[in-house]
Parts: sequence; C-alpha cells; structure tokens
Amino acid sequence: MRTLFPFLKPYKLAIYVALTLTLVELAVELLHPYFMSRIIDDGIVAGDLSQVMYWGGIMVASSLVAFAAGITNSFFAAHTSQGTGFDLRSKLFRKIQGFSFSNFSKYPTSSLITRMTNDVTQLQNTLFMSLRIMLRAPLLVIGSVVMAFLVNPTLALILVVGVPLLLAFLLLIMKRAGRLFKEVQQRVDNVNGVVQENLAGIRLIKAFTRRKHENKRFIKASGELKDRTVRALRTVEITMPIILLIMNLSIMAVLWFGSFQVNTGGATVGEVVAIVNYTTRMSGAMTVFSMIIMIFSRAKASASRVADVLNEEVDLKDREDADPNKRIHDGKIAFDRVSFAYPGTETPVLDDLSFQVNPGEKVAIMGATGSGKSSLFQLIPRLYDPDKGTVFIDGTDISNVTMERLRKQIGFVPQEAMLFTGSIKNNILWGKEDASMEEIEQAAKSAQIHDTIAKLPNGYETELGQKGVNLSGGQKQRLSIARALVRKPKILLLDDSTSALDMKTEAKLLDALDTYQCTTLLITQKMSTTINADKVLLVEDGRITAEGTHDELLEHSSLYQRIYESQIGEGRADHA
Amino acid sequence: MLNELKKPFQYKKIDLDHIEAKKPGAYSFQKPKTDNFWGTVKRVGGYLAESKGLLTYVILMIVLSSAMALLGPFLVGVSIDNYIVNNELGTFGYMLLALAVVYLLHSLSVWQQHMWMIRIAQDTVFKMRTKLFRHLHKLPIPFFDKRQHGDLMSRVTNDMENVSNTLNSSVIQVVSSILTLVGTIAVMLWLSPLMTVITMLIVPAMVFGMKWITKRTSKLFKAQQRNLGELNGYIQETMSGQRIVKTFSQEEKVIAEFMEKNEQLRGTAFWAQTFSGFIPKLMNTLNNLSFAVIAFVGGILALNGMVSIGVIVIFAEYARQFTRPLNDLANQFNLLLSAVAGAERVFNIIDEEEEANDEEDAGELNGVAGAVRFNHVSFSYEGNDDTINDLSFRAAPGETVAFVGPTGAGKTTLINLLSRFYEATDGKITIDGKDITTVKRENLRRHMGFVLQDSFLFEGTIRENIRYGRLDATDEEVEEAARLANARSFIEKMPDAFDTKLSVDGGGISQGQRQLLAIARAILADPSILILDEATSSIDTVTELKIQEALQRLMEGRTSFVIAHRLNTIQNADQIIVLDQGEIVEKGSHEDLLEEEGFYHGLYHSQLKDEMQTTS
Repeated sequence: MRTLFPFLKPYKLAIYVALTLTLVELAVELLHPYFMSRIIDDGIVAGDLSQVMYWGGIMVASSLVAFAAGITNSFFAAHTSQGTGFDLRSKLFRKIQGFSFSNFSKYPTSSLITRMTNDVTQLQNTLFMSLRIMLRAPLLVIGSVVMAFLVNPTLALILVVGVPLLLAFLLLIMKRAGRLFKEVQQRVDNVNGVVQENLAGIRLIKAFTRRKHENKRFIKASGELKDRTVRALRTVEITMPIILLIMNLSIMAVLWFGSFQVNTGGATVGEVVAIVNYTTRMSGAMTVFSMIIMIFSRAKASASRVADVLNEEVDLKDREDADPNKRIHDGKIAFDRVSFAYPGTETPVLDDLSFQVNPGEKVAIMGATGSGKSSLFQLIPRLYDPDKGTVFIDGTDISNVTMERLRKQIGFVPQEAMLFTGSIKNNILWGKEDASMEEIEQAAKSAQIHDTIAKLPNGYETELGQKGVNLSGGQKQRLSIARALVRKPKILLLDDSTSALDMKTEAKLLDALDTYQCTTLLITQKMSTTINADKVLLVEDGRITAEGTHDELLEHSSLYQRIYESQIGEGRADHA
Repeated sequence: MLNELKKPFQYKKIDLDHIEAKKPGAYSFQKPKTDNFWGTVKRVGGYLAESKGLLTYVILMIVLSSAMALLGPFLVGVSIDNYIVNNELGTFGYMLLALAVVYLLHSLSVWQQHMWMIRIAQDTVFKMRTKLFRHLHKLPIPFFDKRQHGDLMSRVTNDMENVSNTLNSSVIQVVSSILTLVGTIAVMLWLSPLMTVITMLIVPAMVFGMKWITKRTSKLFKAQQRNLGELNGYIQETMSGQRIVKTFSQEEKVIAEFMEKNEQLRGTAFWAQTFSGFIPKLMNTLNNLSFAVIAFVGGILALNGMVSIGVIVIFAEYARQFTRPLNDLANQFNLLLSAVAGAERVFNIIDEEEEANDEEDAGELNGVAGAVRFNHVSFSYEGNDDTINDLSFRAAPGETVAFVGPTGAGKTTLINLLSRFYEATDGKITIDGKDITTVKRENLRRHMGFVLQDSFLFEGTIRENIRYGRLDATDEEVEEAARLANARSFIEKMPDAFDTKLSVDGGGISQGQRQLLAIARAILADPSILILDEATSSIDTVTELKIQEALQRLMEGRTSFVIAHRLNTIQNADQIIVLDQGEIVEKGSHEDLLEEEGFYHGLYHSQLKDEMQTTS
C-alpha cells in the first residue's frame, strides 16, 4: 500500500476538509439527545413554551448545518477518490507505455486492463467510503467506551475486555480476506483473458466450430472466480454474527454483574441502563466493521496489484547520457557481432551476426521461416536490446540516442498490419502528427492506397473498426506502409509487408519508394523483390550466410539458387 | 510526475439531458432494447428466482433474525425491570439462559442469511456471465468487427461486478428493512396515531429528495459504466498495438488520448459518486429533522396535556427506528441504480441479434462430396457498393479452385460467404446441391478446414494449438499433422518441443511459423472442403515448396479454395478464377488463361518480368 500513499498527497486539503465535515455531522448527531433532554426538562416539565421553541429551533438549525456539511463532504470525498483514481490510471498507463516487451511478457494484457480499471475502481470506492463513514464507526466505539467509563468504571471494564478481543479477531479476518481477495482479482484476470482471446480469435473459433470448447474454458474461469468470490465474501461475512454475539454476551455480562453491583450499592439502576445502551450503540457501529473490513481487504489486494505494476522495473531505458537530438544523416546501418535471445528463452535467435548497409541502399533480407529476420528488425528501433554486440546507425551506437529520437526517424512496417479504431486519416497521422493533407495523400499515393481510399464514400475520413477489420489484408498492409512513409523516414523497415499485395501493386510501390531518400531494409520471400534490391542478405539460423547482389548470390549461394528455382524456375521453364 | 497530474479543482457541469445522447464512439451501439429500469430489475430478478429454494431459506432467516433482534432488547428490558430494579435474583439464571439462546439464534440466522445469499448472488452472476459469453459466440462476425474488444471485456467483468456487489447485500437489506418498517409503523400507530402522522411527514420529503437524486444518478451511472468501457477499449487496443506505439514513438499521443478518456470517466464518476453520496446525508438530515419536529410538536402537545413525556421519548426513539430502514432502502436503491446500469450493458449484448438464427428446419450435411456452386451471388458491406456482384461458378468435388486478382477484388469475401461468416445479400450458394442457408452453421463449418490470413494462436502449448483442429486427436496424430505441415522440424528445436508454451503476442515465434501451425491445425481437422486464404504468404519459398507438397496431398479428394498471390503456387489448380472489383473476369485452367492473353496473362507476365530481365 505504501507505494500508493503519495497519490493522496495532492488531495491533502480535500481529505482534511472531508474528515472535518464528518466530525461536524457526528457532533450534531451526538448533541441531539442532549437538546431533546433540554426540551423535556426546561420546556415541557417547566411548562415553558419559549424554551421548547428555542431548543427546537436549535435542533432544526443544527440539522441543516449537518446537512450542508454532509453535502459538502460528499463533494470533497468524491473529488479525492475520483481524482486519485484518475491519477492512478494515468500513472499506470504512462508507466505501461514505457514497458519493454520483456516487461509486457510478465503481465498478460488482460491483467493490465483489470488492474487499470477494476482494481483502481476498488481503491476509489475504498477512499470514498473512508472519507465518509469509516471515521464514524471507530469514533462511535471510542466515544461509547469513554462515556461508559465516565458513567461507571467497574462495569465499563467488561467492555474493555471485549473490545481488544474483537479487534484482534477483526485483524485476523482482514489478513485472511486480503489474501482471498487477491485470488479473486487474479481470477478476474483469467476471465478477462479468456474473453479477450475469444474476441481476438472469433473467426478461428467459428471456423473450427469450437464454441463448446471455448464455453467450457470460460465456465471454468468464471466458475473459479465465483468460488473464490464466495469464499472471500463468506470469510468477511462471518465477522458480523461474531461481533453481534460478543457484544450481546457483553450485555449479558453487564446485566449479570450489574445486578450484583446494584445489590451491593456499587451502581445505580440508571447506570446499568446507560451502559447497556452504550453497548448497544457500539455493537451497531461495529457491525459496520464487517463492511469496512471487506472494503479494506479488497483494497489491500487491489493496491498491491496496482503497486506491482508501478514498481515494475523497466528494463529497457534510455541511458543517462543518451542524446535526445541526434539526427540520422545518412542512414548507414551496421550490426556488429550481435547476439540476441528473447527474454525468458535460452535459444538465441540471432547468433553473432554482423552486416553493414550503406546510406540509401535498398537491401532485401531473405531466409527461412524462423531464421531471425523479424528479430533482427526489432533491434533497430530498440524494441529489444541485443544481448551481445552493438547496432550502429551512422557509426553511432544506437543506445547513445534516446529511444524516442531514434524511433521518430525510422519508418517501421510490421508484418501484421496493426491499425487502430479511428479514421484512415488518423491512422496515417500516427506516422507524423502534424502532417498536412498533401503529405498524407502523397504517402498514400506512394503506398498505392490513395485510389482505394478516394473511392470510399468518406475518403480519408472513413472510420476503421478495431484492427482495421473493414479493409482487406492488402489494403491494411498498404495503409500501414503509408503510415510509415508519411514521416519521410531516414530508415525504412518493411517486414514482409507486401506479402498480401499482388505483383503489379507491389512493383509500383517499390518504384515509388525509390523517390524517398532513405535506407530501406525489406524482409521478403519474393524473388521479384530481391532482384530489384541493391543487396541481398540471406539469413539462416540467426546468422548471415550469404551477402551480395542477386546475381552474385545466384552464382555462389546454393540456398539462394534453390529459392530461385522454387519460385521462378518452373515459371520460366513454362514460358521459355 | 505527480505535479503534472495535479489538476485545478474544477469539474465541468454535467449536462444531464445530453449525457445519454452523446455517441459512445464512432461505432454507435444499436439502440438498447431494455432501456427501462424496472424491466432490467425484473430480468435480474428472473435469474435470482432460479434459486427459489435457497432464497426462501434466506428470507426465513431474515425473518428469524429480525424477530430475534426485537426479542433481545425486550428481554433486556424485562431483566432490568424484574431483576435489577426489583432485585429478585431467583429466576435470573433462566432469563440469562433465554437471552443467550436468543443471541445465539440471532447470530446464527444472520450468518446463515449472508452465507447463502452470497452463494445465490454469485450463482446468479455466474449464470448471467455465462449467458453473456455464450451469446457472444452466437453473434455474427460483423458484430465483432465493429466493437472494441476492450469494451466487451468490460461488460463481462466491470459491469458484472456492479451487479454482483449489489446482489450480495441488497436482498437482505431490502427484506429486513421492509420488515422493520412494517413492525415499527404498527407499534407507532398503536401508541399514538397523531404522532405517527407527524413522524410520517418526512416521507413525502424523502420521496421527493430521492427522486431528485436518482434522476441524476441513474443517468450518471450509465454514463460512468460506458466511459469505463470506452477506457477499457482504448487500453486494450493500445496494448495489443504496442509494437506500433513504440516503433512510431507515439507514447505521448496515446497518453494524451488516454487522458481525455480518463478525464471523461472522472467527470461522470465524480458526479455519480457525489450525487449518490447525497442520499445518506439527506436521510440523516430528515431523520434529525423529524427528531426535532417530534420534540417540538410533542413539546407543544405535552404542554397542552395531549401526550405524555414518555410517549415523546418513545416516539423519538421510534422515529429513529423508522428512518433507519428507510435510509437503508434509499442506499440500496442507489446501489441498485449502479447495478442496473451494469446489468443493462450486459443485457444489451444478450439482446443483440444473433447470427440470423439457423432456420428452424435447418438440416445437416452428411458425407459431403464437395460440389460447390455460387449462383448469382452478390454481397455488399453495410450500405457500401457491392463488393461481390452477381457472381457464379461451380467447383466439382475434389477440384482445386484458385482465386486470383488484385487486392480488394473480393477474394476473401467469397470465402467469408461460403463459410457464412457473412450472408450473401443476393443469390444462392449450394454444397452438393443444398442451399447452405438451409444448413446449420456449425455443421456447415465442420466440413470445412481453414487456414486464414491472420493465423491466430491461443495462449497455451503448441500441441494444444494444433489440437484445436480436432479436440480428440491423439498426440501421435498431432505430431503427424505437424510433420505433414513441415512444422515438426522447427517445433522440435523449441525448448520444450510440442509442449512449448506460446504467449498471446507470440513472442519468439515467427509469423511464418504461426502459419505452419495453422496449416497443421487444418490438416488435423481433416475437412471435406479446404479453404486456404493466403496461407503461405509469409513462408519462405523453399519451405513453401514442401508445404505445397503437403497441401497437394491434403487437397487430394477435397474441394479446395485457394487464395494466393504468387501465381506459380496455383498453376496446378483445376480452375483459376480471376476476380476484379467483385466480378469474374476470367476463368479456366492455367494454360487456358495464358492462351487467352487476358487479365491473367498480364498478371502472370508482370510476375515474370523481373525474372526475364535478370536472365536475359
């Protein structure tokens, strides 16, 4: 919980105000019986109407004061809890945006989502409640004990025995419930996870008619959530009957000892009645404790889950001395003996790999599935850092440049064209926020998607669904290329991003790329692409096994020859 | 960091009339059908009623605990009068025993009612959640294409949570409050009808106040849950698009957009909480006021000798007893509002029209030969121009049909129509002469094997992912399928081979490898009709050759539909259908089409052009 306390700081004033206002309410409530007794004693018994008017008026006025205090309290309490929730979510989101992919691998997306919404909501509710009623219950208990002592210290001792016992019991339950509620939140993660997977894979599930199988998975996750919730809640609910029982037994004890005391003259009847009354009031206040305990144990569980994320060490950071202004002038890229394995795995995907790409060159990277091509790409914008070796751009180690600066100058087109909900225009603007309409259209034209967009009823304003579902695979790829081109990058990385394009479109696109002054790396499976490249790198098992122009490789590399044969050999034979 | 979060202390005034009118996003939801409060309550009640037996037990326990709660103080009063004031200790032991029994029963009944109410409530929530999830699977694909996944997730968890919280306590509170209320009023009437009427004066004020508050909170709670859903949606989308966010260095932009949504949520949630916080305050005040009025009026009456002091004191106490349950009810009502806001969002999905139900008389396909026919089929996405326009072709059993054409020609749409992910707007598709709209969807798809463009993997082991093709497949069959798909060699290089865990974002496994797994999955499914949508686009050509080999074998005796861009991969197809803008331009075998020197000829040559240049 400690991590979260600083979040309350900005609301210190609001918290004080809210707490003070609850005290005002409490005071009014405690004073009313006194006012009442004045009406009876000074007014009715003395037969004085003006006294009745006087104290009655005070009662009404004080009620209104309490009302004003209550309303204002509500305002401040809501401000504190919602403000803190807002800050927590913002901080969490910001933190997560800074996560590296190895950080991400520790928390499933669904769990991060639960933490940012569900857990924060729990904390918010706790705060709101704390500021409004929680103070009241303990104060009532303390007040009652004090009053009881003032009335009759001997009889009040009975309460002093009962209360610590109860408190110890409550603490025990709270600890246990805290643990149980943590399990509940984990189960919420699981439910969220199944739902998320089902939504993302809905086509596949329908295609394979696996509805029943998925239902089973969900029912398992949801059933576990139910069981844990029941267990946690039942643990908490056991407090109320026990508190009631202990307090009621105290009443019996007060009666029993009271009767002796009255007998021996140690107490008056009125005193016994008063202490019984205070005990009753206390047990009323204490039943609220079971709710307090529930809320607090939930909050404890949620707080630690939120704190976990906030305390997560981001392992991919800018170096202290990283240059935030470094410009890529030429776009020369060099890998020097780079090795890399994905976090948490042992098998290196890149193994002592070196190569160099000159400014403005167009280099094709080819290799078998899983040979490490995409991994190699991810090191350039520093999505991951290599385990060994260095990546240089323009002769500078890329870890000398801030990530933001570095990435801003690179145009990256991933294999899977990931688009966002929003208009086509907004999706292209991702590449460059302040791009003018001309720039956007220019990029779209180069990416061979402008004509398609222009034909849409709303043109560039057409709204896309999640992941751009209302576009075809090829359209998505081209849009994702336009997004990279709009920033006129110095380095362009195309990760097999033209796979869903037909030959004609692809050729036009590659031609258009020539007008951009940038170093281009493209992963491809197509011979037609490599033929146009200045250089071809052949990757096998995380190493570069051959390097050179198309013609050179065709002569020297047997693997390249085989690929060539597989794609063109047949066609040429037919055609020749 | 906290400094920037420090916001000036101001909340925009919420325009209550327009809270609901605001569009929830670019893709507005279909107008909810259950936009009435009591309707929703009734539906939740319907779920609750399924546990009638337990519910009756819980209510009995509430009655018992209420009785014990009244009996306890009564016995204490008697004890004080008889044993303490009069000091006759003779039977005091029995009295204490009776008290102990009453107290024990009280605690027991309180414990029992909570214990079982929690069970009922959680069972209900579980049922609703299951219903919601099951329903999701019955919805048509376009539904998912339009919604933000995070918002749907929020309904399953956050909204259901609201329902759950309320159910846990509401039933008990409401029943016991009503019992106490009735009891108290009865006693009050018996004591003094006149004072009762005076005490009741606060009821209209209460009703009026509640109305004023709930008019606001019910709208605000709805807006709050909607904003929460939107926020959830945004988080989900940016998380799954992290790679883009990072490579484009758009963290700040994303954070700014998030802040905007976060701010909206804070706005509605703040007002929802503030207004709902008024309820107990209002009740308390009315409570205090009635206390004052009783004292005041009672005092005047007493001065005129119309009531005794004792009656005033008792009434003041009862006024408290009378307003407490009312107070509880008011609080519960408020909780109920937030639960209803949640439940409504859940029901909105449950009421969402299912994938047009299979016709009552929908049949099943058995032993499919695989003769597929498209008969004047047209299709358009909502309101747009036709993506498929009056298209007809036939595929004989066992034939391989390839679709070729520029991007956006409608190739994938044809596949979506055949598998009924989308329904044709016009025309008829038949399999073995049977209109596919007369076949149950699940049955139809069971005869098809898919390798889709976007090869989705589930979190789990490689083995589990392949087995998804046929759940009862043995380990040997799974491995054999992997071998046929040429996936085995790479799988065996993984740290735990077939038992290697895959994460959702598929870190450590390449796109091409994912496709191989998807192919293995389809091989395992052993379908009569095979659908390959650019199945080999991300696979290197050497591997692809091997897969082609495997696929050739697989396609033997099955009707296969193939979408591919590399024309050499489909040269052996029995039929190549060339599409452009939703229409068939050409159709025939590879040789036929080359001879025709039409569209296909052009495509084919553009693919060969570069090769010709290098070899010349």
